[in-house]
Amino acid sequence: MLEVENLKVAYGDLLALHGVSLAVRPGEMVALVGPNGAGKSTLLKTISGLLVPRAGAIRWEDKTISAAPPQRIVERGIALVPEGRRLFATMTVRENLELGAFTRRARNEKNAQFDRIFTLFPRLFERQRQLAGLLSGGEQQMLALGRALMGSPRLLMLDEPSLGLAPKIVEAILSVLAGLSRDGMSMLIVEQNVHSVLALARRAYILESGKIVGAGEGRKLLDDDHVRAAYLGPLSRRAR
Amino acid sequence: MKLILAGIALAAGFAALPLITARNDLLNLGVQIFLSVVLAQSWNLLGGYAGQINLGHAAFFGLGALVTRMLWVSGVPLIPSLASGALTAMAFGCLIGVPAFRLRGAYFAIGTLGLAEILRITIGNLLPEISTIPAVALASYSIVPRYYLTLALAILCVAVVAALVPSRVGLGIRAVREDEAAAEASGVGAVRHKLLAFAVSTALAGLAGGAFAYYHVSYYPQHTFSPGWTFDAVLMSFIGGIGTVHGPVLGALFYVILKEVLAIRWVEFHLIIFGVLFILVVLFLPGGLVEAWDRARRLFRT
Amino acid sequence: MILTQQLILGVLVGGLYGLAAAGLSLTFGVLRVLNVAHGELLMLGGYGTFWLFTLWQIDPFLSLLGVGPAMFALGLLLYWALFQFVVKAHEEARIKNSLLIGFGLTLVLHALAIQFWTADERAVTTAYAGAVIRVGGFAIPLLRLSSLMFAFVILAALQLFLAKTRWGRAIRATAEDWEAAALMGIPVGRTYLLAFALGTALAGIAGGLVSISYSISPSIGIEWTLKALIVIVLAGLGSLFGSFAGGILLGLAEAMSVVFLGGPYREVVGLILFLMVLLVRPQGLFGARG
Repeated sequence: MLEVENLKVAYGDLLALHGVSLAVRPGEMVALVGPNGAGKSTLLKTISGLLVPRAGAIRWEDKTISAAPPQRIVERGIALVPEGRRLFATMTVRENLELGAFTRRARNEKNAQFDRIFTLFPRLFERQRQLAGLLSGGEQQMLALGRALMGSPRLLMLDEPSLGLAPKIVEAILSVLAGLSRDGMSMLIVEQNVHSVLALARRAYILESGKIVGAGEGRKLLDDDHVRAAYLGPLSRRAR
Repeated sequence: MKLILAGIALAAGFAALPLITARNDLLNLGVQIFLSVVLAQSWNLLGGYAGQINLGHAAFFGLGALVTRMLWVSGVPLIPSLASGALTAMAFGCLIGVPAFRLRGAYFAIGTLGLAEILRITIGNLLPEISTIPAVALASYSIVPRYYLTLALAILCVAVVAALVPSRVGLGIRAVREDEAAAEASGVGAVRHKLLAFAVSTALAGLAGGAFAYYHVSYYPQHTFSPGWTFDAVLMSFIGGIGTVHGPVLGALFYVILKEVLAIRWVEFHLIIFGVLFILVVLFLPGGLVEAWDRARRLFRT
Repeated sequence: MILTQQLILGVLVGGLYGLAAAGLSLTFGVLRVLNVAHGELLMLGGYGTFWLFTLWQIDPFLSLLGVGPAMFALGLLLYWALFQFVVKAHEEARIKNSLLIGFGLTLVLHALAIQFWTADERAVTTAYAGAVIRVGGFAIPLLRLSSLMFAFVILAALQLFLAKTRWGRAIRATAEDWEAAALMGIPVGRTYLLAFALGTALAGIAGGLVSISYSISPSIGIEWTLKALIVIVLAGLGSLFGSFAGGILLGLAEAMSVVFLGGPYREVVGLILFLMVLLVRPQGLFGARG
């Protein structure tokens, strides 16, 4: 269970998160939506340990991890698929996956994980020895996802997984995520593609200007007027 | 302001020194201090205020020394010789400034270092390794005029920087140090200001070199292009207090006096101490002696 | 032909330039830290080899097996004492601060060397020092050839380490994107430590080879730092063998300038190439490659 309590994060003197609280229960898929610059990436980065909060607490499986370094957080079972994927372009697909299993805990299960990931993404198996930088957008996203899964995380966080991808591929990725969720993985997904993620997620939060302005069940939020007006735009109006 | 009064008192004290004593070693020490002030302050203008680390400072010092000596030895009066030296240094600075400032940060630093080395090696190859004492100096060498000349230069240099810094131009220069992109965006004209600071810095360095030529008279031509001069300037500026007017003065005083004290026993030892001090300053006390002094004062006030 | 003989000598020294550059490339590429005291570290390695030979008659190539690990340990110490503070800043400040710290370190190490070992030139003179292989009328000094081969082997071993081992991959990943590496659970601080120590060890080994095949003195520090910088600017970062090839290129360029311009201008050609390449890439060595 992930609990974020009254988190305040600043860049220099500028406060980016003004006391954010949320929770992800075991096995839940939770979505985080909101406009650009709301602080969604900041939140994920802070949970991952790349940023240190000014105030507030982050608890994971009942232990406080607010100030823990990134490698400790990975060891505890939280993995982030960062915005833009951040693959190691000069290294091969296989090497990228290997790096995902850097921690000791992950190394023990490395071979099993390779099997699991190659079953999930057969394309990655075919392109094992290719440089990550040469893959297509969809393949890169699969690799980024696979790389995060190599560490056998119990909480998977994704920052804009559908960014820049064709709708077909987005569908494929989302169905993989749905499958993982069914198998019991906890997930926190930041998405611009509000429509599809709200349909999938159990619960969702709305983040605006560093504050949580709304929360509720995924499907309910899809019907919410505020959300429709702000995020669902012409698509929603047509649906009416 | 208190600093200006202290500066005037210091200058007056130094000016009075030759009237009190005829000890050559003290007067020589004075000359070295004044030369160091100009050397450090000229570097500080570009390094401390504009934030550009110039590791080729010695090139301009050397050019000033070269031209001044050449002219003075062939009979040109001292002041025009000095002025020519300074102008030559500044001209070279303006020449390489535009391409050099395309380089940012550390690349500017190593680029200027490379350039100064090219100059040093070329000069060393072109000019013979003989140091002759010209007839002009043989006749009568007196330390006193050199003392007052270098003191005047030091006062001039400090005054120029002190006047430049709070001016509109100075503000633009400092804006470049803080954030070059922002300065450019707000219409400050980053390159123009960097070039201006560079021009003044190199002219002052050329003056220092010229004064050195007048003072030392006989030395290997390559010597004034040696990177050691740059290192001295950097050390003094940082240890004294980079980006302040009085920092380099303090640094020069501290450096030259300590060097004298230590030279009695070990020749290079002062560099070990200054090197360590420098590292400590960069890591933990970026404002140098000036910052240490400010902190100490605040501590005693509370 | 004089030119060919000079070119051969150029290649032989170029390999050492490449080795020196590889060490700096490793620290610069991974930590984004420009340790301008790299040449002084090379100088220390050279003195280590020299004294091991002079005091205890240890064959210099053998002593490199001791000098290497000793310099590695020194690298650990230097990172812990100095450079770990530098890496706390973001990239631009990092490079600037490391330049300054390296500068201070250069002064201290240089002065210490003069203090303890005087400014005299030293060289390791083994029994086989003068041996020369003659190929088609050209003389190839055996020592220099052995040094070149040794340098190549060391780089090949390091390349293997970087390509095949877990920590080697960690180093490469951290060099490319340290935040992404951190998200993998890679301890970035320890990776930096390892890369820095390896870079220092490479410098020390290069220095040992220099003392064997040429000569050393406290002032070779800045000379070799410049050589390493020139090669890095010419060859770019990211490839050990790129550095090696770049070093050989520099050696060849110097050889040609010796033949056509004369000995005293040997250094100048490298510096001019350096400046030209720097100006062509004003965004630095980490600029986006398209």
